[in-house]
Amino acid sequence: MTVLAWLSLAVFLAAYALIATERIHRVAAALGGAGIMLLIHATDAGAAFFAEATGIDWNVIFLLLGMMIIVGVLKQTGVFEYLAVWAAKRARGRPYRLMVLLVVITAVASALLDNVTTVLLIAPVTFLVCERLALPVVPYLIAEAMSANIGGAATLVGDPPNIIIASRGGLSFNDFLIHMAPMIVILMIVFLGLCRIMFRKSFTYDPVRAAEIMRLDEREAIADPRLLRQSLAVLGLVTAAFVLHPVLHYEPSVVAILGAGILVAATPVTTEQALAEVEWPTLVFFAGLFVMVGALVETGVIGHVSQLAVNATEGRLGLTTMVLLWASAGLSAIVDNIPYVASMSPIVADLVQANGGNEHAQVLWWALAFGADLGGNATAVGAAANVVILGIAARNRHPISFWEFTKYGLIVTFITVLLVTPYLWLRYLA
Amino acid sequence: MRARDLVTDFPRVTPDTPVVEAARLLATHDLPGLIVVDEDGLPVSILPGTQVLRMAVPGYCQDDPALAGVIDEEHADAFLRTLADQPVRDALPARPRELPVTDPDATVLEIAALMARTHSPLVAVVGDGRLLGAVTLKTLLNRALPQ
Repeated sequence: MTVLAWLSLAVFLAAYALIATERIHRVAAALGGAGIMLLIHATDAGAAFFAEATGIDWNVIFLLLGMMIIVGVLKQTGVFEYLAVWAAKRARGRPYRLMVLLVVITAVASALLDNVTTVLLIAPVTFLVCERLALPVVPYLIAEAMSANIGGAATLVGDPPNIIIASRGGLSFNDFLIHMAPMIVILMIVFLGLCRIMFRKSFTYDPVRAAEIMRLDEREAIADPRLLRQSLAVLGLVTAAFVLHPVLHYEPSVVAILGAGILVAATPVTTEQALAEVEWPTLVFFAGLFVMVGALVETGVIGHVSQLAVNATEGRLGLTTMVLLWASAGLSAIVDNIPYVASMSPIVADLVQANGGNEHAQVLWWALAFGADLGGNATAVGAAANVVILGIAARNRHPISFWEFTKYGLIVTFITVLLVTPYLWLRYLA
Repeated sequence: MRARDLVTDFPRVTPDTPVVEAARLLATHDLPGLIVVDEDGLPVSILPGTQVLRMAVPGYCQDDPALAGVIDEEHADAFLRTLADQPVRDALPARPRELPVTDPDATVLEIAALMARTHSPLVAVVGDGRLLGAVTLKTLLNRALPQ
Protein backbone atom coordinates (compact mmCIF):
# COMPACT_ATOMS: atom_id res chain seq x y z
CA MET A 1 0.00 0.00 0.00
CA THR A 2 1.12 3.57 -0.65
CA VAL A 3 1.96 6.13 2.03
CA LEU A 4 -1.30 7.89 1.21
CA ALA A 5 -3.19 4.64 1.74
CA TRP A 6 -1.61 4.15 5.17
CA LEU A 7 -2.31 7.78 6.04
CA SER A 8 -5.96 7.48 5.03
CA LEU A 9 -6.28 4.28 7.06
CA ALA A 10 -4.86 6.07 10.11
CA VAL A 11 -7.32 8.96 9.68
CA PHE A 12 -10.21 6.51 9.35
CA LEU A 13 -9.23 4.47 12.41
CA ALA A 14 -8.77 7.62 14.52
CA ALA A 15 -12.18 8.97 13.47
CA TYR A 16 -13.79 5.56 14.03
CA ALA A 17 -12.27 5.38 17.53
CA LEU A 18 -13.64 8.84 18.31
CA ILE A 19 -17.09 7.82 17.07
CA ALA A 20 -17.03 4.57 19.04
CA THR A 21 -15.83 6.13 22.29
CA GLU A 22 -18.01 9.22 21.89
CA ARG A 23 -15.11 11.40 23.00
CA ILE A 24 -16.35 14.09 20.63
CA HIS A 25 -19.68 14.50 18.85
CA ARG A 26 -20.03 11.83 16.18
CA VAL A 27 -20.86 14.42 13.52
CA ALA A 28 -17.64 16.29 14.34
CA ALA A 29 -15.67 13.03 14.19
CA ALA A 30 -17.14 11.99 10.82
CA LEU A 31 -16.87 15.43 9.24
CA GLY A 32 -13.39 15.96 10.72
CA GLY A 33 -12.27 12.64 9.27
CA ALA A 34 -13.82 13.49 5.89
CA GLY A 35 -12.16 16.92 5.97
CA ILE A 36 -8.71 15.47 6.63
CA MET A 37 -9.22 12.91 3.83
CA LEU A 38 -9.88 15.79 1.44
CA LEU A 39 -6.98 17.80 2.88
CA ILE A 40 -4.43 15.01 2.29
CA HIS A 41 -5.86 14.33 -1.21
CA ALA A 42 -6.97 10.81 -0.26
CA THR A 43 -10.14 11.77 -2.11
CA ASP A 44 -11.34 14.87 -3.94
CA ALA A 45 -14.53 16.83 -4.47
CA GLY A 46 -15.30 14.95 -7.67
CA ALA A 47 -15.24 11.59 -5.89
CA ALA A 48 -16.74 12.80 -2.62
CA PHE A 49 -19.75 14.52 -4.15
CA PHE A 50 -20.35 12.78 -7.45
CA ALA A 51 -18.85 9.27 -7.52
CA GLU A 52 -21.43 6.54 -7.04
CA ALA A 53 -19.10 4.03 -5.42
CA THR A 54 -16.71 6.27 -3.50
CA GLY A 55 -18.76 9.34 -2.70
CA ILE A 56 -21.73 10.39 -0.62
CA ASP A 57 -24.53 7.92 -1.26
CA TRP A 58 -27.35 10.31 -2.08
CA ASN A 59 -29.81 7.42 -2.33
CA VAL A 60 -29.25 6.76 1.37
CA ILE A 61 -29.34 10.42 2.38
CA PHE A 62 -32.53 11.22 0.48
CA LEU A 63 -34.30 8.04 1.54
CA LEU A 64 -33.57 8.95 5.16
CA LEU A 65 -34.65 12.56 4.58
CA GLY A 66 -37.92 11.54 2.93
CA MET A 67 -38.78 8.99 5.61
CA MET A 68 -37.93 11.47 8.39
CA ILE A 69 -40.39 13.98 6.93
CA ILE A 70 -43.15 11.38 6.51
CA VAL A 71 -42.65 10.07 10.05
CA GLY A 72 -42.49 13.61 11.42
CA VAL A 73 -45.95 14.33 10.05
CA LEU A 74 -47.33 10.90 10.95
CA LYS A 75 -46.33 11.21 14.57
CA GLN A 76 -48.25 14.45 14.97
CA THR A 77 -51.46 12.60 14.16
CA GLY A 78 -51.54 10.59 17.41
CA VAL A 79 -52.01 7.29 15.58
CA PHE A 80 -49.39 5.50 17.67
CA GLU A 81 -50.92 6.62 20.94
CA TYR A 82 -54.29 5.49 19.64
CA LEU A 83 -52.95 2.05 18.74
CA ALA A 84 -51.07 1.56 22.00
CA VAL A 85 -54.00 2.57 24.22
CA TRP A 86 -56.32 0.45 22.10
CA ALA A 87 -53.91 -2.49 22.58
CA ALA A 88 -53.83 -1.97 26.34
CA LYS A 89 -57.61 -2.10 26.43
CA ARG A 90 -57.70 -5.14 24.18
CA ALA A 91 -55.29 -6.86 26.57
CA ARG A 92 -57.85 -6.18 29.33
CA GLY A 93 -55.05 -5.45 31.76
CA ARG A 94 -53.47 -8.89 31.39
CA PRO A 95 -49.75 -8.10 31.76
CA TYR A 96 -48.24 -10.58 29.33
CA ARG A 97 -50.94 -10.04 26.72
CA LEU A 98 -50.22 -6.31 27.04
CA MET A 99 -46.52 -6.91 26.46
CA VAL A 100 -47.23 -9.06 23.39
CA LEU A 101 -49.45 -6.39 21.84
CA LEU A 102 -47.07 -3.51 22.60
CA VAL A 103 -44.07 -5.47 21.34
CA VAL A 104 -45.85 -6.48 18.12
CA ILE A 105 -47.01 -2.90 17.46
CA THR A 106 -43.44 -1.69 18.03
CA ALA A 107 -41.97 -4.31 15.71
CA VAL A 108 -44.43 -3.63 12.89
CA ALA A 109 -44.07 0.14 13.23
CA SER A 110 -40.28 -0.04 13.27
CA ALA A 111 -40.28 -2.16 10.12
CA LEU A 112 -41.70 0.86 8.29
CA LEU A 113 -40.34 3.71 10.41
CA ASP A 114 -37.02 4.26 12.03
CA ASN A 115 -36.40 2.50 15.34
CA VAL A 116 -35.69 5.57 17.43
CA THR A 117 -38.92 7.29 16.38
CA THR A 118 -40.86 4.14 17.15
CA VAL A 119 -39.58 3.81 20.71
CA LEU A 120 -39.98 7.56 21.28
CA LEU A 121 -43.66 7.14 20.38
CA ILE A 122 -44.39 3.94 22.26
CA ALA A 123 -42.50 4.71 25.51
CA PRO A 124 -44.75 7.49 26.89
CA VAL A 125 -47.91 5.38 26.39
CA THR A 126 -46.15 2.50 28.10
CA PHE A 127 -45.50 4.68 31.15
CA LEU A 128 -49.16 5.68 31.27
CA VAL A 129 -50.49 2.13 30.91
CA CYS A 130 -48.02 0.55 33.35
CA GLU A 131 -48.70 3.25 35.93
CA ARG A 132 -52.43 2.64 35.63
CA LEU A 133 -51.94 -1.13 35.97
CA ALA A 134 -49.27 -0.80 38.72
CA LEU A 135 -46.92 -2.86 36.57
CA PRO A 136 -43.14 -2.39 36.54
CA VAL A 137 -42.48 -0.34 33.41
CA VAL A 138 -38.84 -1.36 32.91
CA PRO A 139 -39.43 -4.84 31.38
CA TYR A 140 -41.89 -3.33 28.92
CA LEU A 141 -39.44 -0.62 27.87
CA ILE A 142 -36.59 -3.11 27.42
CA ALA A 143 -38.82 -5.44 25.38
CA GLU A 144 -39.95 -2.54 23.18
CA ALA A 145 -36.39 -1.35 22.44
CA MET A 146 -35.41 -4.88 21.46
CA SER A 147 -38.47 -5.49 19.32
CA ALA A 148 -37.83 -2.18 17.52
CA ASN A 149 -34.35 -3.46 16.65
CA ILE A 150 -35.60 -6.88 15.56
CA GLY A 151 -38.60 -5.52 13.63
CA GLY A 152 -36.46 -2.87 11.95
CA ALA A 153 -34.34 -5.59 10.38
CA ALA A 154 -37.30 -6.87 8.36
CA THR A 155 -37.39 -4.22 5.63
CA LEU A 156 -35.15 -2.00 3.54
CA VAL A 157 -36.36 1.14 5.33
CA GLY A 158 -36.61 -0.33 8.84
CA ASP A 159 -33.06 0.30 9.99
CA PRO A 160 -30.33 2.60 8.58
CA PRO A 161 -27.82 -0.28 8.12
CA ASN A 162 -30.36 -1.93 5.81
CA ILE A 163 -30.65 1.26 3.75
CA ILE A 164 -26.87 1.31 3.29
CA ILE A 165 -26.74 -2.41 2.49
CA ALA A 166 -29.56 -2.07 -0.04
CA SER A 167 -27.87 0.80 -1.83
CA ARG A 168 -24.39 -0.71 -1.82
CA GLY A 169 -25.56 -4.21 -2.67
CA GLY A 170 -28.12 -3.17 -5.27
CA LEU A 171 -30.86 -4.93 -3.27
CA SER A 172 -34.51 -3.99 -3.59
CA PHE A 173 -37.29 -3.52 -1.06
CA ASN A 174 -38.74 -6.87 -2.10
CA ASP A 175 -35.36 -8.58 -1.69
CA PHE A 176 -35.53 -7.60 1.97
CA LEU A 177 -39.14 -8.77 2.21
CA ILE A 178 -38.20 -12.13 0.75
CA HIS A 179 -34.89 -12.73 2.50
CA MET A 180 -35.12 -10.90 5.82
CA ALA A 181 -38.80 -10.54 6.77
CA PRO A 182 -39.79 -14.24 7.02
CA MET A 183 -36.96 -14.93 9.46
CA ILE A 184 -37.77 -11.77 11.43
CA VAL A 185 -41.33 -13.06 11.93
CA ILE A 186 -39.93 -16.28 13.38
CA LEU A 187 -37.48 -14.34 15.55
CA MET A 188 -40.32 -12.17 16.87
CA ILE A 189 -42.30 -15.25 17.92
CA VAL A 190 -39.24 -16.64 19.69
CA PHE A 191 -38.58 -13.23 21.25
CA LEU A 192 -42.12 -13.14 22.67
CA GLY A 193 -41.48 -16.53 24.24
CA LEU A 194 -38.21 -15.25 25.69
CA CYS A 195 -40.03 -12.23 27.17
CA ARG A 196 -42.47 -14.58 28.88
CA ILE A 197 -39.53 -16.32 30.58
CA MET A 198 -37.18 -13.38 31.16
CA PHE A 199 -39.77 -11.06 32.69
CA ARG A 200 -42.00 -13.72 34.30
CA LYS A 201 -41.77 -12.06 37.73
CA SER A 202 -43.24 -8.82 36.40
CA PHE A 203 -46.58 -10.19 35.22
CA THR A 204 -48.92 -9.74 38.16
CA TYR A 205 -52.57 -9.30 37.25
CA ASP A 206 -54.76 -6.98 39.31
CA PRO A 207 -58.45 -7.11 38.25
CA VAL A 208 -59.32 -3.79 39.94
CA ARG A 209 -56.49 -2.00 38.17
CA ALA A 210 -57.35 -3.77 34.94
CA ALA A 211 -60.86 -2.30 35.07
CA GLU A 212 -59.33 1.19 35.39
CA ILE A 213 -57.52 0.80 32.08
CA MET A 214 -60.83 0.57 30.25
CA ARG A 215 -61.55 4.18 31.16
CA LEU A 216 -58.77 5.53 28.96
CA ASP A 217 -60.13 7.05 25.77
CA GLU A 218 -57.84 6.33 22.82
CA ARG A 219 -59.93 8.46 20.43
CA GLU A 220 -58.78 11.57 22.29
CA ALA A 221 -55.25 10.90 21.03
CA ILE A 222 -56.25 11.63 17.43
CA ALA A 223 -55.94 15.37 17.13
CA ASP A 224 -56.79 15.72 13.45
CA PRO A 225 -58.57 12.77 11.80
CA ARG A 226 -58.26 14.32 8.33
CA LEU A 227 -54.48 14.66 8.63
CA LEU A 228 -54.35 11.10 9.93
CA ARG A 229 -56.20 9.76 6.89
CA GLN A 230 -54.00 11.76 4.53
CA SER A 231 -50.73 10.67 6.18
CA LEU A 232 -51.77 7.03 6.28
CA ALA A 233 -52.73 7.24 2.62
CA VAL A 234 -49.30 8.64 1.74
CA LEU A 235 -47.54 6.00 3.86
CA GLY A 236 -49.60 3.36 2.06
CA LEU A 237 -48.70 4.83 -1.34
CA VAL A 238 -45.02 4.98 -0.44
CA THR A 239 -45.01 1.36 0.75
CA ALA A 240 -46.84 0.26 -2.39
CA ALA A 241 -44.30 2.11 -4.54
CA PHE A 242 -41.44 0.39 -2.67
CA VAL A 243 -42.99 -2.99 -3.38
CA LEU A 244 -43.84 -2.14 -6.99
CA HIS A 245 -40.26 -1.18 -7.83
CA PRO A 246 -40.00 -3.94 -10.48
CA VAL A 247 -42.96 -2.32 -12.28
CA LEU A 248 -42.56 1.39 -11.55
CA HIS A 249 -38.75 1.59 -11.47
CA TYR A 250 -38.61 4.35 -8.87
CA GLU A 251 -35.66 4.07 -6.50
CA PRO A 252 -36.63 3.93 -2.77
CA SER A 253 -34.99 7.34 -2.27
CA VAL A 254 -37.15 8.84 -5.02
CA VAL A 255 -40.29 7.22 -3.61
CA ALA A 256 -39.59 8.55 -0.10
CA ILE A 257 -38.83 12.07 -1.22
CA LEU A 258 -41.88 12.17 -3.52
CA GLY A 259 -44.02 10.83 -0.68
CA ALA A 260 -42.72 13.53 1.64
CA GLY A 261 -43.40 16.13 -1.03
CA ILE A 262 -46.99 14.96 -1.58
CA LEU A 263 -47.56 14.96 2.17
CA VAL A 264 -46.45 18.58 2.50
CA ALA A 265 -48.25 19.68 -0.66
CA ALA A 266 -51.57 17.95 0.04
CA THR A 267 -51.96 18.50 3.79
CA PRO A 268 -52.13 21.61 5.98
CA VAL A 269 -48.67 20.73 7.33
CA THR A 270 -46.28 23.57 6.51
CA THR A 271 -42.81 23.11 5.07
CA GLU A 272 -41.33 24.41 8.33
CA GLN A 273 -43.24 21.85 10.39
CA ALA A 274 -42.26 19.03 8.06
CA LEU A 275 -38.59 19.98 8.14
CA ALA A 276 -38.53 20.49 11.92
CA GLU A 277 -38.54 16.74 12.50
CA VAL A 278 -35.61 16.06 10.18
CA GLU A 279 -32.48 15.03 12.06
CA TRP A 280 -29.97 17.03 10.05
CA PRO A 281 -27.01 15.94 12.23
CA THR A 282 -27.71 12.30 11.30
CA LEU A 283 -27.76 13.12 7.58
CA VAL A 284 -24.49 15.04 7.84
CA PHE A 285 -23.00 12.16 9.85
CA PHE A 286 -23.84 9.79 7.00
CA ALA A 287 -22.31 12.16 4.46
CA GLY A 288 -19.07 12.36 6.48
CA LEU A 289 -18.93 8.58 6.81
CA PHE A 290 -19.41 8.06 3.09
CA VAL A 291 -16.58 10.48 2.23
CA MET A 292 -14.26 8.77 4.72
CA VAL A 293 -15.03 5.26 3.51
CA GLY A 294 -14.90 6.48 -0.10
CA ALA A 295 -11.38 7.77 0.53
CA LEU A 296 -10.37 4.31 1.75
CA VAL A 297 -11.67 2.90 -1.53
CA GLU A 298 -9.91 5.61 -3.59
CA THR A 299 -6.54 4.99 -1.90
CA GLY A 300 -6.86 1.23 -2.34
CA VAL A 301 -7.15 0.32 1.34
CA ILE A 302 -10.55 -1.33 0.91
CA GLY A 303 -9.34 -3.17 -2.21
CA HIS A 304 -6.39 -4.45 -0.23
CA VAL A 305 -8.49 -5.59 2.73
CA SER A 306 -11.02 -7.19 0.36
CA GLN A 307 -8.22 -9.06 -1.41
CA LEU A 308 -6.95 -10.35 1.93
CA ALA A 309 -10.47 -11.40 2.88
CA VAL A 310 -11.05 -13.07 -0.50
CA ASN A 311 -7.76 -14.97 -0.25
CA ALA A 312 -8.42 -16.04 3.32
CA THR A 313 -11.92 -17.30 2.58
CA GLU A 314 -11.49 -18.53 -0.97
CA GLY A 315 -14.14 -21.04 -1.92
CA ARG A 316 -15.52 -21.17 1.59
CA LEU A 317 -18.69 -19.14 1.30
CA GLY A 318 -20.30 -20.92 4.25
CA LEU A 319 -17.50 -20.13 6.65
CA THR A 320 -17.30 -16.53 5.39
CA THR A 321 -21.03 -16.09 5.94
CA MET A 322 -20.91 -17.38 9.51
CA VAL A 323 -17.85 -15.34 10.45
CA LEU A 324 -19.48 -12.24 8.96
CA LEU A 325 -22.76 -12.89 10.81
CA TRP A 326 -21.23 -13.47 14.24
CA ALA A 327 -18.48 -10.86 13.93
CA SER A 328 -21.03 -8.26 12.80
CA ALA A 329 -23.25 -9.11 15.76
CA GLY A 330 -20.30 -8.88 18.15
CA LEU A 331 -19.03 -5.58 16.79
CA SER A 332 -22.48 -4.00 16.55
CA ALA A 333 -23.02 -4.84 20.20
CA ILE A 334 -20.17 -2.55 21.14
CA VAL A 335 -20.09 0.16 18.49
CA ASP A 336 -22.79 1.93 16.49
CA ASN A 337 -23.79 -0.35 13.62
CA ILE A 338 -24.12 2.51 11.09
CA PRO A 339 -20.40 3.31 10.70
CA TYR A 340 -19.66 -0.42 10.89
CA VAL A 341 -21.98 -1.25 8.00
CA ALA A 342 -20.86 1.81 6.01
CA SER A 343 -17.22 0.69 6.15
CA MET A 344 -17.97 -3.02 5.80
CA SER A 345 -20.23 -2.65 2.75
CA PRO A 346 -17.51 -2.11 0.10
CA ILE A 347 -15.64 -5.14 1.46
CA VAL A 348 -18.77 -7.29 1.40
CA ALA A 349 -19.50 -6.04 -2.14
CA ASP A 350 -16.05 -7.30 -3.22
CA LEU A 351 -16.59 -10.63 -1.43
CA VAL A 352 -19.96 -11.09 -3.14
CA GLN A 353 -18.32 -10.44 -6.52
CA ALA A 354 -15.47 -12.86 -5.73
CA ASN A 355 -18.03 -15.54 -4.92
CA GLY A 356 -19.77 -15.20 -8.24
CA GLY A 357 -22.00 -12.20 -7.57
CA ASN A 358 -25.12 -14.35 -7.88
CA GLU A 359 -28.08 -14.76 -5.53
CA HIS A 360 -26.13 -17.47 -3.75
CA ALA A 361 -23.31 -15.09 -2.88
CA GLN A 362 -25.81 -12.46 -1.73
CA VAL A 363 -26.12 -14.46 1.48
CA LEU A 364 -23.18 -12.33 2.65
CA TRP A 365 -25.36 -9.21 2.52
CA TRP A 366 -28.03 -10.94 4.61
CA ALA A 367 -25.41 -12.11 7.10
CA LEU A 368 -24.19 -8.52 7.43
CA ALA A 369 -27.75 -7.21 7.85
CA PHE A 370 -28.82 -9.82 10.42
CA GLY A 371 -25.57 -9.51 12.35
CA ALA A 372 -25.51 -5.72 12.46
CA ASP A 373 -29.22 -5.32 13.22
CA LEU A 374 -29.56 -8.06 15.83
CA GLY A 375 -26.19 -7.33 17.43
CA GLY A 376 -27.54 -3.96 18.46
CA ASN A 377 -29.69 -5.66 21.10
CA ALA A 378 -26.75 -7.11 22.99
CA THR A 379 -25.82 -4.11 25.10
CA ALA A 380 -27.46 -0.91 26.30
CA VAL A 381 -25.27 1.08 23.89
CA GLY A 382 -25.55 -1.31 20.92
CA ALA A 383 -28.36 0.53 19.17
CA ALA A 384 -29.74 4.06 19.18
CA ALA A 385 -33.16 2.77 20.30
CA ASN A 386 -31.61 1.28 23.47
CA VAL A 387 -29.85 4.53 24.33
CA VAL A 388 -33.09 6.46 23.82
CA ILE A 389 -35.08 4.07 26.04
CA LEU A 390 -32.49 4.35 28.82
CA GLY A 391 -32.70 8.13 28.54
CA ILE A 392 -36.52 8.20 28.74
CA ALA A 393 -36.52 5.76 31.65
CA ALA A 394 -34.02 7.85 33.62
CA ARG A 395 -35.98 11.04 32.96
CA ASN A 396 -39.14 9.43 34.28
CA ARG A 397 -37.43 8.16 37.43
CA HIS A 398 -37.36 4.49 36.46
CA PRO A 399 -33.65 4.24 35.60
CA ILE A 400 -32.44 1.16 33.72
CA SER A 401 -28.79 0.42 34.38
CA PHE A 402 -26.37 -0.60 31.64
CA TRP A 403 -26.17 -4.14 33.02
CA GLU A 404 -29.87 -4.55 33.60
CA PHE A 405 -30.43 -4.01 29.88
CA THR A 406 -27.33 -5.89 28.82
CA LYS A 407 -28.10 -9.08 30.76
CA TYR A 408 -31.33 -9.50 28.80
CA GLY A 409 -29.72 -8.15 25.63
CA LEU A 410 -26.97 -10.75 25.57
CA ILE A 411 -29.51 -13.57 25.89
CA VAL A 412 -31.76 -12.19 23.14
CA THR A 413 -28.87 -11.47 20.76
CA PHE A 414 -27.27 -14.84 21.29
CA ILE A 415 -30.50 -16.76 20.72
CA THR A 416 -31.64 -14.71 17.71
CA VAL A 417 -28.25 -14.89 15.97
CA LEU A 418 -28.07 -18.59 16.81
CA LEU A 419 -31.40 -19.11 15.03
CA VAL A 420 -30.28 -17.09 12.00
CA THR A 421 -27.25 -19.37 11.62
CA PRO A 422 -29.19 -22.48 10.42
CA TYR A 423 -31.58 -20.21 8.47
CA LEU A 424 -28.75 -18.83 6.34
CA TRP A 425 -27.11 -22.22 6.11
CA LEU A 426 -30.18 -24.16 5.03
CA ARG A 427 -31.59 -21.52 2.72
CA TYR A 428 -28.44 -20.37 0.91
CA LEU A 429 -25.53 -22.66 1.59
CA ALA A 430 -26.74 -26.23 1.92
CA MET B 1 -35.10 53.99 38.19
CA ARG B 2 -32.94 50.98 39.03
CA ALA B 3 -33.48 47.45 40.26
CA ARG B 4 -32.76 48.58 43.85
CA ASP B 5 -35.79 50.91 43.67
CA LEU B 6 -38.11 48.14 42.50
CA VAL B 7 -36.91 45.16 44.51
CA THR B 8 -39.24 43.65 47.08
CA ASP B 9 -38.80 40.81 49.51
CA PHE B 10 -39.67 37.48 47.97
CA PRO B 11 -40.30 34.02 49.48
CA ARG B 12 -37.68 31.43 48.64
CA VAL B 13 -37.52 27.64 48.62
CA THR B 14 -34.60 25.20 48.69
CA PRO B 15 -34.01 22.18 46.46
CA ASP B 16 -35.21 20.02 49.37
CA THR B 17 -38.59 21.72 49.65
CA PRO B 18 -41.39 19.32 48.61
CA VAL B 19 -43.02 20.37 45.33
CA VAL B 20 -46.45 20.27 47.04
CA GLU B 21 -45.30 22.92 49.49
CA ALA B 22 -43.82 25.01 46.70
CA ALA B 23 -47.09 24.84 44.78
CA ARG B 24 -49.06 25.83 47.87
CA LEU B 25 -46.74 28.80 48.42
CA LEU B 26 -47.45 29.96 44.88
CA ALA B 27 -51.19 29.66 45.34
CA THR B 28 -51.57 31.28 48.77
CA HIS B 29 -49.27 34.23 48.10
CA ASP B 30 -50.35 34.70 44.48
CA LEU B 31 -46.73 34.58 43.33
CA PRO B 32 -45.66 34.66 39.65
CA GLY B 33 -42.90 32.13 40.36
CA LEU B 34 -40.38 30.85 42.87
CA ILE B 35 -36.73 31.44 43.70
CA VAL B 36 -34.82 28.27 44.58
CA VAL B 37 -31.76 29.06 46.72
CA ASP B 38 -28.68 27.06 47.74
CA GLU B 39 -27.26 26.81 51.26
CA ASP B 40 -25.60 30.24 50.86
CA GLY B 41 -28.96 31.77 50.07
CA LEU B 42 -28.07 32.47 46.43
CA PRO B 43 -30.43 31.56 43.58
CA VAL B 44 -29.75 28.20 41.88
CA SER B 45 -32.91 28.33 39.82
CA ILE B 46 -35.82 30.66 39.23
CA LEU B 47 -39.01 28.94 38.24
CA PRO B 48 -42.04 30.67 36.72
CA GLY B 49 -45.30 29.33 38.16
CA THR B 50 -45.97 27.34 35.00
CA GLN B 51 -42.67 25.50 35.48
CA VAL B 52 -43.62 24.64 39.07
CA LEU B 53 -46.86 23.23 37.70
CA ARG B 54 -44.86 21.28 35.13
CA MET B 55 -43.27 19.32 37.99
CA ALA B 56 -46.68 17.80 38.71
CA VAL B 57 -47.46 16.88 35.12
CA PRO B 58 -46.64 13.20 34.50
CA GLY B 59 -43.51 12.69 32.41
CA TYR B 60 -45.43 10.81 29.73
CA CYS B 61 -47.71 13.80 29.13
CA GLN B 62 -44.68 16.05 28.76
CA ASP B 63 -43.01 13.64 26.34
CA ASP B 64 -46.22 13.17 24.40
CA PRO B 65 -48.85 15.92 24.70
CA ALA B 66 -51.44 13.76 22.90
CA LEU B 67 -51.63 11.50 25.96
CA ALA B 68 -53.08 14.12 28.29
CA GLY B 69 -56.37 13.84 26.43
CA VAL B 70 -56.51 10.06 26.69
CA ILE B 71 -56.81 10.18 30.48
CA ASP B 72 -60.34 10.12 31.90
CA GLU B 73 -61.73 13.04 33.89
CA GLU B 74 -61.51 11.41 37.31
CA HIS B 75 -57.82 10.57 36.98
CA ALA B 76 -57.12 13.92 35.36
CA ASP B 77 -58.69 15.73 38.31
CA ALA B 78 -56.35 13.90 40.65
CA PHE B 79 -53.07 14.56 38.83
CA LEU B 80 -51.73 16.96 41.49
CA ARG B 81 -52.15 14.32 44.18
CA THR B 82 -49.42 12.20 42.67
CA LEU B 83 -46.80 14.70 43.77
CA ALA B 84 -46.45 13.21 47.28
CA ASP B 85 -43.14 14.29 48.82
CA GLN B 86 -41.11 14.70 45.67
CA PRO B 87 -38.57 17.50 46.27
CA VAL B 88 -38.06 20.51 44.03
CA ARG B 89 -34.52 19.21 43.30
CA ASP B 90 -35.89 16.33 41.17
CA ALA B 91 -37.78 18.70 38.96
CA LEU B 92 -35.16 21.35 38.23
CA PRO B 93 -34.25 21.68 34.55
CA ALA B 94 -31.54 19.18 33.61
CA ARG B 95 -29.54 21.72 31.67
CA PRO B 96 -28.94 24.97 33.53
CA ARG B 97 -30.23 27.86 31.50
CA GLU B 98 -29.52 31.55 31.86
CA LEU B 99 -30.96 32.62 35.22
CA PRO B 100 -33.00 35.82 35.47
CA VAL B 101 -30.64 37.30 38.05
CA THR B 102 -29.47 40.90 38.01
CA ASP B 103 -27.65 43.42 40.15
CA PRO B 104 -29.17 46.40 42.01
CA ASP B 105 -27.84 48.84 39.40
CA ALA B 106 -29.79 47.32 36.50
CA THR B 107 -32.14 49.72 34.71
CA VAL B 108 -35.82 48.98 34.05
CA LEU B 109 -34.98 48.26 30.43
CA GLU B 110 -32.26 45.78 31.42
CA ILE B 111 -34.69 44.00 33.73
CA ALA B 112 -37.42 43.95 31.09
CA ALA B 113 -35.01 42.57 28.49
CA LEU B 114 -33.86 39.87 30.91
CA MET B 115 -37.45 38.86 31.71
CA ALA B 116 -38.34 38.67 28.04
CA ARG B 117 -35.21 36.67 27.18
CA THR B 118 -35.57 34.13 29.97
CA HIS B 119 -39.39 33.88 29.79
CA SER B 120 -39.49 34.68 33.48
CA PRO B 121 -42.12 36.84 35.22
CA LEU B 122 -39.64 37.59 38.01
CA VAL B 123 -36.01 38.61 38.23
CA ALA B 124 -33.90 37.98 41.33
CA VAL B 125 -31.71 40.85 42.51
CA VAL B 126 -28.33 39.87 43.96
CA GLY B 127 -26.00 42.48 45.51
CA ASP B 128 -22.96 42.17 47.76
CA GLY B 129 -23.10 38.39 47.47
CA ARG B 130 -26.61 38.02 48.85
CA LEU B 131 -30.14 37.78 47.49
CA LEU B 132 -31.92 41.07 48.06
CA GLY B 133 -35.31 40.03 46.69
CA ALA B 134 -37.03 40.10 43.35
CA VAL B 135 -38.58 42.40 40.78
CA THR B 136 -41.84 40.97 39.48
CA LEU B 137 -43.44 41.60 36.11
CA LYS B 138 -46.32 43.33 37.87
CA THR B 139 -44.05 45.71 39.81
CA LEU B 140 -42.07 46.47 36.69
CA LEU B 141 -45.14 47.22 34.59
CA ASN B 142 -46.74 49.33 37.34
CA ARG B 143 -43.67 51.51 37.59
CA ALA B 144 -42.61 51.64 33.98
CA LEU B 145 -45.94 52.20 32.22
CA PRO B 146 -46.87 55.84 31.67
CA GLN B 147 -49.50 56.84 34.28
